[in-house]
Amino acid sequence: MNAAIIFGLLLALMLTGMPISISLGLTVLSFLFFMTDVPIDAVALKLFTGIEKFEIMAIPFFILAGNFLTHGGVARRMINFATSMVGHWNGGLGLAGVMACALFAAVSGSSPATVVAIGSIILPAMVAQGFPKNFGAGIITTSGALGILIPPSIVMVMYCVATTGHPQAASIGQMFIAGVVPGILLACFLGFTTWFRARKFGYPRLPKASLRQRLHALRESFWGLLLIIVVMGGIYSGIFTPTEAAAMAAVYAFVVAVFIYKDMPLSRVPKVLLDSASMSAMLLYIITNAVLFSFLMTSEQIPQNMAAWILDQNMGVWVFLLVVNIILLAAGNFMEPSSIVLIMAPILFPVAMKLGIDPVHFGILIIVNMEVGMCHPPVGLNLYVASGITKMGITELTVAVWPWLLTMLIFLGLITYVPAITLWFPRLLGFM
Amino acid sequence: QDPIVIKFSHVVAPETPKGKGAEKFRELAEKMTNGRVKIEVYPNSQLYKDKEELEALQLGAVQMLAPSLAKFGPLGAKEFEVFDLPYIFPDKVVLQRVTEGPVGKKLFQKLESKGIIGLAYWDNGFKIMSANKPLTMPADMKGLKMRIQSSKVLDAQMRALGALPQVMAFSEVYQALQTGVVDGTENPPSNMYTQKMHEVQKHATLTNHGYLGYAVIVNKKFWEGLPADVRGQLETAMKEATKFANDIAQAENDTSLAQMKAAGTTQFHEQSKEERAAWMQALKPVHKDAESRVGKELIEEIYKEAEAAGYKM
Amino acid sequence: MFMKILDRLEEALIASLMAGATLVIFAAVVHRYLSGVPVVQDYVLHWNLAWAQELCIYMFVWMAKFGAAYGVRTGIHVGVDVIINRMEPNLRGKFVLFGLGAGALFTGIVGSLGARFVYHISETDQVSADLEWPMWIIYLAVPLGSYLMCFRFLQVAWTFVRTGELPHHDHAQVDGIDPVEAAKEGGPA
Ligand code: NA
Ligand code: NA
Repeated sequence: MNAAIIFGLLLALMLTGMPISISLGLTVLSFLFFMTDVPIDAVALKLFTGIEKFEIMAIPFFILAGNFLTHGGVARRMINFATSMVGHWNGGLGLAGVMACALFAAVSGSSPATVVAIGSIILPAMVAQGFPKNFGAGIITTSGALGILIPPSIVMVMYCVATTGHPQAASIGQMFIAGVVPGILLACFLGFTTWFRARKFGYPRLPKASLRQRLHALRESFWGLLLIIVVMGGIYSGIFTPTEAAAMAAVYAFVVAVFIYKDMPLSRVPKVLLDSASMSAMLLYIITNAVLFSFLMTSEQIPQNMAAWILDQNMGVWVFLLVVNIILLAAGNFMEPSSIVLIMAPILFPVAMKLGIDPVHFGILIIVNMEVGMCHPPVGLNLYVASGITKMGITELTVAVWPWLLTMLIFLGLITYVPAITLWFPRLLGFM
Repeated sequence: QDPIVIKFSHVVAPETPKGKGAEKFRELAEKMTNGRVKIEVYPNSQLYKDKEELEALQLGAVQMLAPSLAKFGPLGAKEFEVFDLPYIFPDKVVLQRVTEGPVGKKLFQKLESKGIIGLAYWDNGFKIMSANKPLTMPADMKGLKMRIQSSKVLDAQMRALGALPQVMAFSEVYQALQTGVVDGTENPPSNMYTQKMHEVQKHATLTNHGYLGYAVIVNKKFWEGLPADVRGQLETAMKEATKFANDIAQAENDTSLAQMKAAGTTQFHEQSKEERAAWMQALKPVHKDAESRVGKELIEEIYKEAEAAGYKM
Repeated sequence: MFMKILDRLEEALIASLMAGATLVIFAAVVHRYLSGVPVVQDYVLHWNLAWAQELCIYMFVWMAKFGAAYGVRTGIHVGVDVIINRMEPNLRGKFVLFGLGAGALFTGIVGSLGARFVYHISETDQVSADLEWPMWIIYLAVPLGSYLMCFRFLQVAWTFVRTGELPHHDHAQVDGIDPVEAAKEGGPA
């Protein structure tokens, strides 16, 4: 009963269009006030302590690093490198777009940021070369989603935050390592679809780059690519904790943008700081209110009861995972990933653990679902961003992305039912 | 009539000694009060995390907690930092003389002005020092990055040994040790074993240098508002639960140590008398430094208890 | 005039907190590694940066509270607006105002709860674990940030009533990248 009131209220408030963070907070306030004897002062406490955790601080750092990279000429050099490697195949610049997105994803933690960084440079170039606009838009909208699957990933941090306290919760390091293989695999899938369609429709190819040109492009993008080693190598070898790695990445990206590539004048740094702070604050504000919300649910014993109920259905792992996918894909229609993960993970995670599903596998499955959700309407951040860059309408874009979206759904099926894809690499490295 | 509800929140798993102690208290209390009191135990930081539970208790959002003793310093009761001092309790007998005697009572009184009443001290155990190299003498600690939980005294302790203390959340320690973010750490055997730290530490010395413990506390206003007979029954229940919790803490440490020895991934080193003396010598200045924070008298009172038990402090 | 100063202060505060926290953690990591280098060790070992994590967390919590207020002014807080965007303008306007009002209500209440909480903590001697700063000052972020956010919601609502305009955050906007220029550079030389 209480669960129905809580979720009903939350849904009603959300549908009025107010910020999700506010609807979460108001739901908690009104429920606590009218229906429980939990002192309402606890809310003020939770609003501070909800984000008082060093792991969460990776989020602002990764956002800052990503912004320096986007504005600092790193994306452009990565595109040049990718083009020199795969530009001569069918799909040319399109394939290069997929590869550049994957490379940029390895230094940035966010999907929309990846779409912006790569898309705003490569899409106009593709149009100039004679590709139809919707071909490029479809590629970048979906490939940009790699941003949260290939580590580092802000949504993975959110997943760890949302499940923290559960004895089986996965660590940020485990999630990052586990994202590598699925990320590369999805990039290959998307690349294949691109290649296939380009061949079918006879889209332009570029002349093959010589070894010298390739080496030159590699040398140019070297400083950007080195960041992959700073972040992943740093975390894997134990030089940094994930949060420290994020902070180091931010400093490094700043140095590369301002002093090495010199694409960004010092005078623009304050603006980048402000934008990053504002984006981080928005996410931290959602986290705070989501923590408050899951506190309310715990103190009403809702996740425990739901877990018991689902287990009573005897649905088995196969069906449960199917249901999870459907729920998450449905949620992807209305909300962006951070909110979905923060609201749904605390509920679904305990059940998954009771069914013996691996916490890391479950996490990657959630991330892939979030990737799909970002690429389709009505709410899809990648779609919005791509629409902003291409000046295409959302409907037009929706049609444009479908071949790649279908590819992602097939990939999602694979990830869901073949845990080994996710798990063999971290196990190989002895990370779990 | 509705039963009086006591929300008892803690931050560890139900299977740990503290978790079992809380469960035992629930059982005993509900039985002894004939169901007039209902205890709801919330393990695993479900309701409140480490950092916020004390404030939640003061606000009356929960009624009962069992935080680690290190949490009372930031609350304004710096005297509790005395528990962190290395080698302040030469053995368990001295520890019990302190926690069950006048010193323990006096310490609890410091909490009353904060709206808190202390009911009992629960053991976690004595800590051993581990790293990837043998730690025979204090000099072996020089330059090592050692994980500690946030505490001024532990910080000073590591520095006195020439090590570099690193504050880190307990849940991150395994990975940090595995990857080398830190070189070593200090833990009671049971914590070391449950976090599988023996898998990633080659050496450990049974230093038993420091003590880790909890205090079971209640909201003062709530406690004093209880009917006197109920309060009495709860106190009795707490006494029994304390005995139970401390016994399994000891048993857990013993079996954990045995299991880690059997696993064979860590070499455990017993200290000789001379070695122990050298460690005590190296760490003695930490007591002196702490005087300004915890008070000279308090330290001397504990020395007296130790001397009464036959130790020379 | 006053509004201009408030706006700039808000922006300067959150941008400096962002930069500051980054530098703090950078310094702490560098310090940890220098402490392992034999010769340098003797110079840096006595510096105690154990408080770095705590300071970083508090800086970011403050950044989050004030940044959230800035976000209201710039329209960065996302909501589920698919349904109301299909309504006729008049009705949609009512929902928008309802949403902004709810935001002001929530942040106003939280601000007051926060103020009461800070008052309560200020009567104790609580200090933070590592820096040992008074907790009530640290917790001030909740009432101050929330009241500022409340004010921003009212401000946006007022502008909406007068002009029908809402602040809108454009995620696709990248400063310094000119698509036309970029197009010329696409592909290897
Ligand atoms: Na990424
Ligand atoms: Na969507």
